[in-house]
Amino acid sequence: MSDISVIRVRDLLMVTLPSDPDDATVSALQHQVLEAMQKREPKGVVLDISAVETLDSFFARTVAETAQMVRLMGGRTIIAGMRPAVAITATQIGLTLGKIETALDVDRALEMVARGDGNIGGQK
Amino acid sequence: MTAVSQGEIQIATESDILLARRAVREAATQVGFGATDVTRIVTAASELARNTFLYAGRGTMHWTRCELHGREGLELKFVDKGPGIPDISLALQEGYSTGKGLGMGLPGAKRLMDDMDIQSAPGHGTTITVKKWRKT
Repeated sequence: MSDISVIRVRDLLMVTLPSDPDDATVSALQHQVLEAMQKREPKGVVLDISAVETLDSFFARTVAETAQMVRLMGGRTIIAGMRPAVAITATQIGLTLGKIETALDVDRALEMVARGDGNIGGQK
Repeated sequence: MTAVSQGEIQIATESDILLARRAVREAATQVGFGATDVTRIVTAASELARNTFLYAGRGTMHWTRCELHGREGLELKFVDKGPGIPDISLALQEGYSTGKGLGMGLPGAKRLMDDMDIQSAPGHGTTITVKKWRKT
């Protein structure tokens, strides 16, 4: 089982989630991301969830909370690469990711940051 | 049929939720569900397994391949001897929670599956059975 990878790419933290993380790994995500925010002072976080096969309410809540915390620290979070089956399931179950910005894939997420458009997710 | 047609997973620790998800993913794939339905079933299983762990501490998930009028399906049964659910219709309400969860697990799982049955006696435990049928 792979862990969460957090690397810095230019001004961003690239966080890649494994396909089926257990609860402890999901909880560690929050800690790892916030610590990296403080240490490496990026402008924001790109959460690559393209490998994620199951997004249940616990996982979704942790991701939404993490984005909220990153925002309080002055950064933006873009969730990238949600699979169609995951998007369908999340919508059906009533999960929302709040006001977090989303992108089709990591490439588009990086484009959004490069263009400096903070309005794609509906807010600055 | 050469494929395994049933199995069970003990749910006693947080990481057993992951084992339950894996077993259900494999079973649902074997039954022949498409990618979206597999995701729905695994997500429902994750919510119910987490409920078992959160509210009862421990329990068992049984999965069975089933058939009805020529349609193949998958049944998941979560059995625990926990405190039980005093008010099932309340527990099925969106956003209702006794504080440990989000209040989305039970109603969410119900929406993802075709059928849900809840048997619960306060003080004696809870049995939740969900089914999903393959299309066509």
